[in-house]
Parts: sequence; C-alpha cells; structure tokens
Amino acid sequence: MLQGALAGLAAGGLYAVLAVCLTLMSRLVRVVNFAQSATGMFGCYVAVWLSVHVGLPTWAATVVGIVLGGGLSALLGWIISTWLAEADIGTRSAVTVAVLLLLISLSFILFGNKPQPFHPILDGPAFSVNGVVVSQVTVVTVVLSVVIALGCRALLTKTSFGLELRALSERPTTAELMGIPAKPLAVAVWAATGLLSTLVISIVAPSQSNDATSLSMLVVPASAAALLGGFRRLDLAVVGGLVLGMAQGAVAQVDSLSVVRYFLPFLVIVGLLLWSQRKEVWDVAR
Amino acid sequence: MSRAETGPLTRFGVPLVVAGAAIVVGYLFSVGLDGYFVYLGMSAIVAGIALLGLGVVTGSAGMVSLCQLTFAAVGAWVVSYLNRAGAPGGFLVWLLCGGIAAGLVGVLVGLPALRLRGINLAVVTLGLAAAADLTLVQIQFPGTVDGVSVERPEAFSDDRGYFWLGTMVLTACCLLVHFLRRTRWGSGWQAVAFSERGTAAAGASVRTSKLSAFAVSAALGGVAGGLLTGQVGLAFPASFTAMQSLALYVLAIMSGAHLIDMAIFGAVLWVAVPELLKRWGVPQDWGFVVFGLLGTHALATGGNLGTAVRELWRRRSKGAASIELSAPPSDVELPTPGEPVLVVRDLSVSFGEVKALSHVDISVPSNGVLGVIGPNGAGKSTLVDILSGFLPQATGSVELDGLKLNGLSPTRRARAGLRRTFQQDRVPAGLTVGSYVRFVARRRLSTAEITDALEFFGCPPARTPLRRVDVGARRLVEVVGHLLAKPKVLLLDEPAAGLPHEEHVALGLRLRQVPARFGVSVLLIEHDLDLVRSVCDTITVLDFGQVLASGPQAEVLANPEVLKAYMGETELL
Repeated sequence: MLQGALAGLAAGGLYAVLAVCLTLMSRLVRVVNFAQSATGMFGCYVAVWLSVHVGLPTWAATVVGIVLGGGLSALLGWIISTWLAEADIGTRSAVTVAVLLLLISLSFILFGNKPQPFHPILDGPAFSVNGVVVSQVTVVTVVLSVVIALGCRALLTKTSFGLELRALSERPTTAELMGIPAKPLAVAVWAATGLLSTLVISIVAPSQSNDATSLSMLVVPASAAALLGGFRRLDLAVVGGLVLGMAQGAVAQVDSLSVVRYFLPFLVIVGLLLWSQRKEVWDVAR
Repeated sequence: MSRAETGPLTRFGVPLVVAGAAIVVGYLFSVGLDGYFVYLGMSAIVAGIALLGLGVVTGSAGMVSLCQLTFAAVGAWVVSYLNRAGAPGGFLVWLLCGGIAAGLVGVLVGLPALRLRGINLAVVTLGLAAAADLTLVQIQFPGTVDGVSVERPEAFSDDRGYFWLGTMVLTACCLLVHFLRRTRWGSGWQAVAFSERGTAAAGASVRTSKLSAFAVSAALGGVAGGLLTGQVGLAFPASFTAMQSLALYVLAIMSGAHLIDMAIFGAVLWVAVPELLKRWGVPQDWGFVVFGLLGTHALATGGNLGTAVRELWRRRSKGAASIELSAPPSDVELPTPGEPVLVVRDLSVSFGEVKALSHVDISVPSNGVLGVIGPNGAGKSTLVDILSGFLPQATGSVELDGLKLNGLSPTRRARAGLRRTFQQDRVPAGLTVGSYVRFVARRRLSTAEITDALEFFGCPPARTPLRRVDVGARRLVEVVGHLLAKPKVLLLDEPAAGLPHEEHVALGLRLRQVPARFGVSVLLIEHDLDLVRSVCDTITVLDFGQVLASGPQAEVLANPEVLKAYMGETELL
C-alpha cells in the first residue's frame, strides 16, 4: 500500500499543479478550462516531435514545447476575452470543451494515436524510505506543486500586479473603469497557466501512460482536486491533488480494485460537489 | 386574429403524417441506395438518436452533458448481455431494456446533478465518461471475447432491412421527444433551463424536471448504443470513447439539436463530414477538428445553425407581439372583501447584520386586493420571497386559509394555493403563450378559458411563441397563467414594470376585477401610486423592513409618517 501510495505521488504532484492552474483560471478569468491539460499535452507532443524528427536536444525541444503550450493557451484566452468578455462562466467554459476536442483530434492527425517516444527529463531514484524508492520525478513534481501554489499566493497577495488581478476578478467593471487593462491581464493568466501545465506534463509524461487522450483527460482528476478547494483555495487544491494521486496509487496495488481506481476521481468530484453545494438551492440570488 | 390554439387534429395528425412519410422514405432508401450508403445511413441513424437525447438535456433543459456515449455503452452492454444470455423477447425487447437501463443510470448520475448546474455538471459527466472509457477497455462487452454477435430480428436481418428498422426506431424516438416536449415534463425542461425559481413558483418540481430530462436523454443514448450493437454485431469500447461524447456534445450545440430536424441534420453531418474528407484524401480525424472549430465559433457567438435558419425564416414573418390594453369590460360587480385568507405574523429575516424585515404583520382579505407600498429597499420583494418560500431562514408564521405554510418548499406552497410572479422576466422564451399558461396553471384548461383570460389582459394569442412577445407582455402572460391556476392568493411583484405608463391604470382596473372574475385574492406590490390607488382598498406601507402604516387607502395615504417616508419620491408628491 505504502509503495503504491508513494508511486502515485508523482501523478499526485501533476494533479496538484493542474489543479492550481484550474483554480487560478476559475478565480481570475472565470473559466473552468477543460483544455488545461490538453494544451500541455500538445506542447509536449510538439517537443517530442522536435527532438525525434528535427534532432533538437531534449532540453531545447522541451523549452520550445513549453513556450508553445503557453502560446496556445494565450491564444485561447485572447479569443475568449475578446468574444465572450461578458459571458457567464458556463458559456466561457463550454468553449474550452470544443477546444479540448480540437486539440485531441489535431494531435491524432499530427502525431498519430500511439503513445509518444518521450525522452525522460528526469530519471532515477531520489532516495528511499523503508526500502520504498521515491523517484526524482516524484520529488520534483511535489516540490513544484507546493512552490507554484506558494508563489501564486505571494504574487496575488503581495504584489501590485496581484492586486490588479484580484480587483479584475472580483469587480471587473470597476477595475476596468479604474484603468486596469483587463484583456492583457487575462491573456497573461492564460499564458502563465499554459506554461505551467506544459512544464509539469513534460516532467511527468515520460513515466505515465502518455497517449493524447489520457494526458488530456488529466483535467478530470485535476478538477476533482481543484474542487476540494472549491476552485478558490490554492492550498487545498494542492492537498487534494497529492491525496488523490496517492489514493489512486494505493488502490492500483490491488488488482480487484482497478475499476475503483478509474472511478475514484469521478466519485471524489460527485462527493465534493454534493458537500460543497449542500446549502445552495437556487440558481440566482433573487 | 383568432386567439385559439391549433386543434387536436393538427397537433396529433401532422406529426403522425410526417412520421409515416419518414418511414416510407426510409424504406425507399433501404431498397434504393447503394449498400455502402445504407451502412453509412445506419450510422447516421444511431448518431441521430444520441443527438436527440442530447438535444433534450443540453438544448431544452440547458444542462451540459459530456457522457452521452457512456449511456450508449450501457445500452450496448445490456443488449450484448441479453443476447449472450439468450434472453427471451428478441432484439427489440433487448433494445428497449437497454434504453431503460441507460435511463436508470441517467437518473443515478442525474441525482447529484439536481443541485449542480452548468459547469459543475460538465465536470461530473466528463469524469464519468473518462472513467467509463477506461473501465470498458478492461471489462469489454459480453460476448466480444468469445465472438457471440448480436442477432438482429429475423424480418430485418440483412443490412437493408436493418436500416429500415433503424428508420422506424429513429422515427419513434422523434415522435416520443416531440410529444414529450408538449407535456408538463417538456414545458418543465424549458422552464428549468430558463429559471429554476420560475419553475418552482409555477408549482413544478425543479428536481423532476431535471431528472426527467436527464433520464430521457440517457435512455435515448441507450437505444442508440443498442442499435449500434445490432449494426456491427459485436460492440467494442472504441465506439463509445469520451472523445466521441465530446464531439457529439459540440455537434449538438452547433446544430441546435433541441430542434428535431436539426438533430437529424447534425447526424447527417456526423457521418458526411468524415466521409467527404475520406473521399478527398484528407485524414478522417480532421472531421473532429472541423466540429471543434465550428463548435468554438457557435459557442463563442452564442448562436447555432437551427436557430439561425429559423431566424432567417422568421424575419419574413411578423415582428414582436405586445399587449393591447383598452378600457376593461365593466360587467362585473365588485365583491366586498371578506375574512383574511393569508395571515402573516411577526415575520423577520436578516442578511448578516442587515435586518431586511422585522416583525411584519400582514393580512390579505379574501376577495380583496391588498397593496404593499414603500420606498426602494423597504423590503417589499423580500416579503414576497419569504411568503413564497424562497427564504426558508425567515422567522414568523405564514398561514394560508388556516394551513400553516412554514417549512414548505416554494413548489409545495405554489401547489397549496399561494402563487407569485417575479419582477424579473422568468418566462421561458422557448414555449408558446398557450403552452406556458397551461404549464403554470397546472390544471386542465379549455381553450376558451385560456382565450378569455388572455383577452381580458390584452395579451397576445395563445399560439404566439413567447420569444416574439415583449418583456412587459410576458409578465402579464405570467400573471394570466398564475390566475388560471386558481390559487387562493396571488402575490404580484410590480406587474406593471415594463409596461408604458399610460397602460398602468388600465391594468389596475383589470386587477381590481381579479377577485370577482377569477376568485383569487391579490397582494399587490407596486411603485406606481396611481396604479395602487386605482386598485387597492387597503394598503400596508413598509419602510426599512417595518410596517409603517396599514389600513384603508385614504387613511394610510394621508398619514404624515407615510408622506415623510416617501419624501423625494416624486410619484407621491
């Protein structure tokens, strides 16, 4: 069990970073971005293609991929903040469903539907606890998720940039009237979360099932984790991601429970939503 | 212009004739088309049924469902299982079982969805689709490992025959959806998509509306899956991936699948786009890219193909419908108000530190109209919200004709005979005036009854689609619906807002006749004092959440306290 749980921690770190991205997006630009991990997947696939077919060194290809992921996300953000500036969160998010579909099928066309020959960026064990080996990937992703969450928190609470972002998310009209540039800021948030998700997927993908669909569907466990923090709290999103990854890893140790493992994110989502919405009754306040 | 709705012959006859024609066309296609096209056509039929289902849940009821093919997989699984087990009844019975099983799964998934809306439901259904995807690959469909393929009915065993059977199943599903949408359930779907509060205020259960939409949608998905199994013989997980569910959702949004013809058109696209790409030598995966792009566009602009085509058609027909109020018929004798029918004692509610209402007593006389006035923020709308059950945290007692209403949900209160209207537009634009009035009234109404009531309030005819009715008139249609429900008391929250000022008094004269004509007592909240003067014998004045004065009209309006509270409000001066 412990071995399984620790093995699942790498995935947990990945969920945590994606959950942090989803939470930032939902808080700051009013979108539940279903294409969050698909953007990362696409960036990584381009990186693999560059390294295999163009012969770029792995690190250079990875950097290009990460930048591309950020760029794609920024483009999507620009489209949404241009055409759907006033729309509700539901409509804005529904657009990302279409984009998710678009990115998966584009990757099928460009790269085929087989898992990609990833070159691991990180490899090998970091240390071992009671004979259970913890890999470098695990250490890096977990540390990364915590650092990113802390960093975002500091950025939002301590800097004037963060203040503008919060103003924009809580009182968009007032903020715009005060001269805060809404669209560039929104696009910047999109770009940043795109960069982060591509980065973390580049690190973890080599050691995961890494076909396009699996990578894109990482958004499901990630949103389960983000829901723990109610799409608002970054710390709980990180905790949620790590715990969910460990739970899945632990369950994976038992063969008879493998179906449970698939349904775990779904059950967590349903449970959390029912709990968090237990008092909400009506669609509008009045 | 006649205000009547269409007769039963048109209502039932036309769809049945169209259905008959569709089956004939299906037969002609099945014998006339090239074998390959028959096969493609079958795929389109399967997609069409799945899209019809999505149209119900996403189009009519306004929910996001990303797991339609998971329901299809349930249908396929049941059909495969029954086939392998050699269950009695044959394919069509199995198909029905598959549909029912998928419907039940839909109810299970829908249960948490009752309190979830919009984007949360999307997360839930995507989670289910992803989990089902992985699970299906692991457990496989019954019979696929040992190659027991599903037996088609004998009369339709070849591909052409099966296509014709498919046409009939599709037609049956279309008829089902068509007629369901005309029932209370269907109106409920439209209402719940537009406003949950409005639905509950009409005495319909928000829960039933959402759950029935989800169940019907899932059942149709199940039938589609079962039919697909019969087409290919052995079901494989690759036919039911989350990815394809996403694509179907996008297609449903893009084509506007809540319209039956558009669901079928969407199904044709579903098959034709990849097929054309194949012929042009383009990889078929571009099909989903095309759907993705068009879907992004449709979602970003908020339009869809079906509505666009209909708009084009409508532009040639008439413009917006509004109300025509002249002097009302004065042929009724006004009854004298009797004993109180609605008694409210010691009503209080606070939002945090703010006391919105404190210790309010109000009583509405039977056969009478009580006016409640007060400056902005006095707590008038809060009062209506509490009485109709939308603010359960309020304290105090509410008694309707001796029945204690405390603790009852808005739906129960509406059914018990306490109705309300809203200040905001809560009338779903997807229905006609007549079907909306029937939905709100919750009782059997004759066409003449509806026509009379609509005419009395100068509303557009029953068969006018509500989307062509302007907002002021919509709110009067809402009033008519609630009056026809024959409640004991109707709470009207600023019914004249949205009407031109010169029509306020004309409306007031009609409201005055409401107790006599409809047997309904009224609590009227209004800003316009001219209107209140013309309607109400007794008035209660609220200010800062407290009753400032209460009693006969002349006495209350002469009260210096009331004048002071209203200082600056030009309406009174």
